[in-house]
Parts: sequence; C-alpha cells; structure tokens
Amino acid sequence: MFLQQLVNGLTLGSTYSLLAIGFALVLGLLNMLNIAHGDVFMFGAFLGLSFAMLGMPLYLALILAMVGAGVVTIIIERLCFRPLRKSHFLMPLLSTIAFGIVLQNVATQIWGSEPVRYPQTTEIAQFQLGPVLVSSIDIIILATSILLMVGIDQFVKRTSFGRAMRATSEKPQTASLLGVNINWVIVFTFFASGALAGVAGVLTALVYSQITPFIGIRQGLIGMVAMVIGGVGNLRGAMIGGLMIGIIEIMNDAYFAAGYRDIILFGLFLAFIVFKPEGLFGTKEQ
Amino acid sequence: MSVYTQGVIALMGVNILMALSVYAIVMADQVSLGNAGFMAIGAYTSAYLSVKLGIPIFPALLIGALAASFIGLLIGVPLLRLSGLYFVMGTFGFGEVVRTFFMVFEPTGGAYGFRGPVGATLPMIYGWVLVLIVLFWLLSRSRLGRSLDALRDDAEVASSIGLNVTLLKLGVFWLGSFTAGIAGGLYAHYMFYIESGNFHILVSAIAILCVILGGMYTFWGALLGGVIFSILPEVLRFMGGWRLSVYGSVLVLMMIFRPSGIISRQMVRNTGEWVGGIFRKASS
Repeated sequence: MFLQQLVNGLTLGSTYSLLAIGFALVLGLLNMLNIAHGDVFMFGAFLGLSFAMLGMPLYLALILAMVGAGVVTIIIERLCFRPLRKSHFLMPLLSTIAFGIVLQNVATQIWGSEPVRYPQTTEIAQFQLGPVLVSSIDIIILATSILLMVGIDQFVKRTSFGRAMRATSEKPQTASLLGVNINWVIVFTFFASGALAGVAGVLTALVYSQITPFIGIRQGLIGMVAMVIGGVGNLRGAMIGGLMIGIIEIMNDAYFAAGYRDIILFGLFLAFIVFKPEGLFGTKEQ
Repeated sequence: MSVYTQGVIALMGVNILMALSVYAIVMADQVSLGNAGFMAIGAYTSAYLSVKLGIPIFPALLIGALAASFIGLLIGVPLLRLSGLYFVMGTFGFGEVVRTFFMVFEPTGGAYGFRGPVGATLPMIYGWVLVLIVLFWLLSRSRLGRSLDALRDDAEVASSIGLNVTLLKLGVFWLGSFTAGIAGGLYAHYMFYIESGNFHILVSAIAILCVILGGMYTFWGALLGGVIFSILPEVLRFMGGWRLSVYGSVLVLMMIFRPSGIISRQMVRNTGEWVGGIFRKASS
C-alpha cells in the first residue's frame, strides 16, 4: 500500500516538477514570475487533447502540444515581459495574471467549460511489480518527465547555449558585452519553460482524464510552491520540490483528509517563504 | 435605480475599499497579493456574528475587521522581514491558506458557502468609503504621512534619521488588513451568500491593478482604479463570451502603454493648485 502510494506520488510529482522547472527557468533568468504559467499548462493539455481527437498517436500529440505551449509562452514574453523589462517586477507579474484570464477565456470559447475526457489513444497495460501495480500511463509519465528533466539539466550545464543562459541570469550586461544575444536567450528560455508546462498538461490530462479551462490556476500555484520549496530559481531544487509535493499530496489523500490537501501545501509554502526563503537547495543570496 | 445598477455601484464601493487596503500597504513600499485573505476573514467573521449570534451589522463589521487586522499583525511580523518578490509570494501564500481554510472550515459552511448575512446598503458602503478616504487624506497630510513618504523613498535614510521603520510598516499593514476586513464584511452583508471562491487570488490582483493603474503615489489613484475596474467589466458586456479576453487584453495593453498609472502625485498637486487658484480668484 505504502509503496503503491509512493509510486503514485512520484508520478504526480513529476508533472509538478516539469511545471516548477518552467517557473525556475524564468525566475532564474529575469527574477520575475510568470503567473500565466499554469494557464499555459492548461492550454497545452487542451492542445494535446485536440491533436489526440484528430487521431494522432500520443507521442505526436505530446510534441505538438509542447511546441504550441512554447509558442504561447513566447507571446507572453513579447507582450508581458519585453515591454516591461525595465519597470517594477510587479508589472510583468500582474500583466501575466491578465494574460492568464485571456487564455482561460479563449480555452472556454474553443473547448467549452464542461470537463472534457481525454480520448484513449494508447492501450493501457498494467504491470504487477511485487506489491506495486504500475500502468503503462504511469511509465509514460515518469519516463517522459525524467527524460525532459535530465535533458534540460544537462543542456543548461553542458552546452554553450546553456552557458549563455547561466551567464545572462548572473549578469545580463556582462553577458551581452561578451557577445551573448540576450533577447535570443530569453526567448529560448521562455519557449523551454512553456514547452515543459505543455508536456505536463498533456501528461496530467492522461492521468485525470478530465480537463477544464480552470485547472491551470491551482496547478500553476502548486508548481510555484514546488519551486520555492526546492530553492528559488534552482532547477534541480525545483525537480525535487515537485516530487516532494506530489508525494505529500498523495500521502495526505491516502492517510489523512483530501480536503486539507491545499491548506497543507500552501501552509508549507508560507512556512518556507517566511523561515527558509532560499528553499531546500537554494543559495543564500536573497 | 435598477437592482443591476445598484449591484454594480455597491461592488464599486467594495472594490474601492480593497484598492485602498492595497494602497495602505503600498505606502510602506510593499505590495500585498494576499488582501483577499483579509477580506475573507472580515467577511466570514462578520457574517457568522450577525447570522449565528444575531449581533447588529455595525459591531459585526467592526469585529470582523478587527479580527482581520489582528491576523494581519500576527502574519505581518514574520512577513515584513521579506522584501520585493518574496513579500509578494508570502502574502500570496497567506491569501491561499485563508481561502483553502474557509473551503474546509465546517462552522462557516465549508465548500457549501455561508448564507444569510443581510443589511449592507449603498449609503452604508459609501459611508465607510468616505470615512476611509478622509482617514487616508488626513494621514497623507500628517507628520506620519511624511514619515511614510520618506520610508518609501529610501528606507535606509528613513531609519537613519530616527524613524522606526518596522513599526511604520506594521502600522500600515494593520491599516490595510483592517480596510480589507471592512470591505469583506460589507461584501458579505450585501451579497447574502459567500463562498471561498469569492476570495480568490484574482481579487487581490485586481485590487493591486486598481492601485497601479490609478496611480501608485496617491490614494486618489486607488479611488479612480476602483471605479474603472468596476465599470470596465460591465462596459465590456456587449462582447458576450469573449468579454474576459477583451478585459485581459485591455489590462495587458494598459500595462504596456501606461505603466506608471493614470494619476501621478504631481498631477494631484497641480490640480490642487488649479482648484485653489479658482477659489482665490473667485474670492478676490
């Protein structure tokens, strides 16, 4: 029973990790929050759903939803961040809240506000591993998330573009002097952040099988909570934070009261912000 | 006046109060994304008092707002150590804790919401608006107001000339949470029914937008923002299903083209001199 819940928690948590990484990428680079991130997640889920409805196989729907969500995030950068780059950090934050309202409304107009079922395009197989029952969907989710997490981590650590990203987040002016194209780095970072949210959206839709235009709000907030607990702007911290939140959520539902889930998570978030704002793995610069 | 118009005007009063509650905290250079939480505490407390215990509306409102501001003090002590983005995230976390708390708290109805508070009238709502505006006006002209201006311009210099920065910050945080508590109580007693969804993070966000777009450096901006943000959604009703898209887009565009708000401090000063000039001419 406990092991089973642990696997469920890891599966759920890995989608939170993808969201948290997206937050951390943007925050690490610009020190600003993209509140519409959760709505990009929702939009990605609906895009994946539409492609699946057209009869596309899951992997293709995933890739297309990823690109679509990435493009939406580039639009967010263009409208809510670039014109406001020199203003108070609050402006982009509020601007993205407004953009989130737009995304929710557009999704309602296109797909309706009733919960939509995700069409079953892949055979679901169940595997009994000792005491734990794992479905093929769990495996797809875990494998995809881990692949993407390792991918983005290595990309930022090892490639020269990743080095440009780190340089820009450290000292944008110096990076620019050394020949880094800052705008290109920012656009790419937003695209990656949105693409990860889009994947997380499709994967979550696979598990819960029902999506509405309003799932993004809570999911986005939880992604932010995971990022803060892991360590603000720290990619590996965000990954671990997401997994932790997933496990806490599932364990709470299994052994305590499901109604208290969000109080516990947001309470934890508040406690971290107040007493340990650098998170579990963050560096103490703030 | 139709019921619809009355409803819009009543909510406008509540929005103005919420904008003032954000402005109070902005006076100390902090932006709170959790004022919907204080609003919720004021709303649920006063509603419970008047419905379950039969307490008249005025003391119920006052106790609700005092409860909100007491929680404000408790949470303010640790939160005010944070600055910038961290303070925003902290207050946001507080707001969500309060909202999710009332979603499961059975004595006030939990997920079913709370039904029954009545008695808030338009004159009562605008009476409170007037009282608070006078309060903010007096504050802006007082020695305390000057201290807050100094704190906002440069906290370090302010503390070096002997101002108790922590106490000032805590004071305006108290005032902000009290104002939001009043707004919540009035909202509950006007709407007859409240649920935790009424105190969503968007409520806090809209209150901040009122202050920013009205103008961050004077409480007149909060007033103007409250009016604009109450009328704008109604004006956009003809857009039908796309209303919220247009609303959101207008906000994004406002942010791009008028990031410093509509009313600046200089504008208030100039207008004041202009009005004063007219009076001087008329009397001479």
